[in-house]
Amino acid sequence: MPPLPSQSPSRRNAPLEIVAALATGGLLTLMLLSNSAMAAHTSPLFSSLTAHGTGSVVAALALLAIRQRRLAGTRPTRRAPLWAYLGGVSGALTVMLTSQAANSSLALTGTLAIGLAGQVVLALAFDCFGALGIQKRLPRRKDLIALGAILAGTLLIIRARGMG
Amino acid sequence: MPYMILIAFVAGMLVTLSRQINGRLALESSAMQSSFWNHLVGFCVLAVAAQLSIGFWPPGASAAPWLAWIGGPLGVAFVASGSWLIARLGATMTGGLMVAGQMLSGVALDLAQGRDAVLWMQLLGVLLILWGVWASIRQ
Repeated sequence: MPPLPSQSPSRRNAPLEIVAALATGGLLTLMLLSNSAMAAHTSPLFSSLTAHGTGSVVAALALLAIRQRRLAGTRPTRRAPLWAYLGGVSGALTVMLTSQAANSSLALTGTLAIGLAGQVVLALAFDCFGALGIQKRLPRRKDLIALGAILAGTLLIIRARGMG
Repeated sequence: MPYMILIAFVAGMLVTLSRQINGRLALESSAMQSSFWNHLVGFCVLAVAAQLSIGFWPPGASAAPWLAWIGGPLGVAFVASGSWLIARLGATMTGGLMVAGQMLSGVALDLAQGRDAVLWMQLLGVLLILWGVWASIRQ
């Protein structure tokens, strides 16, 4: 029996993808800077609302620009299930829950740390079982070591701010 | 307090869930399409929530600086990139490396802004994260 792709020893994290993931995380820092500026002037809910609104317009323009360049017939033929269009619901709920928790006795520091735990637990479960149509890929030892170091460093940095 | 811990934990899980769902949509369309639908559907949900609570246009909105308005456009690239990455790195490493990038840039921003924080903890955190990223690349 051939090995499952997810367990193939040749599978490696390509440097391009790692750099892209790091840069995307950097983008998140800028987004949070911008969104918290809007939240300070209005509210977390309105800040997220405007971010989603302006984002919809920009993404629509980007799609139009891409479509004009793309040849007909190169698009995927399979149709995504309806629920696959609902990622935004989850994103919208995140904002509401996070602002509620950050205003409680957990404060921002506690909310971030616990949120990180929730994020990682579900990601590990998704990867181990291959959820929602994304390929299953058992995390390897080096992935877990990397993840552990990143999480430990992150908790230190969050804590460093909380004590500042 | 335990209720709030649960809320914060679920909020974190929703980040992963959203990325997984968007990644699935991207498999059958494109990363940019998944980003578009993510933003449009999120906007509709938030518009209803805003209507029910704060009203559509709070008074401070007009006075907000330009910086406050660029989060959404940046988010388009953020979601598209996440959708592209999740099929390639998996949920764990996509999330982990994004957190790494967020923290490294966050510390740089904190230092640039002169924000109060314990410096040795920040630097030790940065070293741990850099080591973790290196460990993920190493064969």
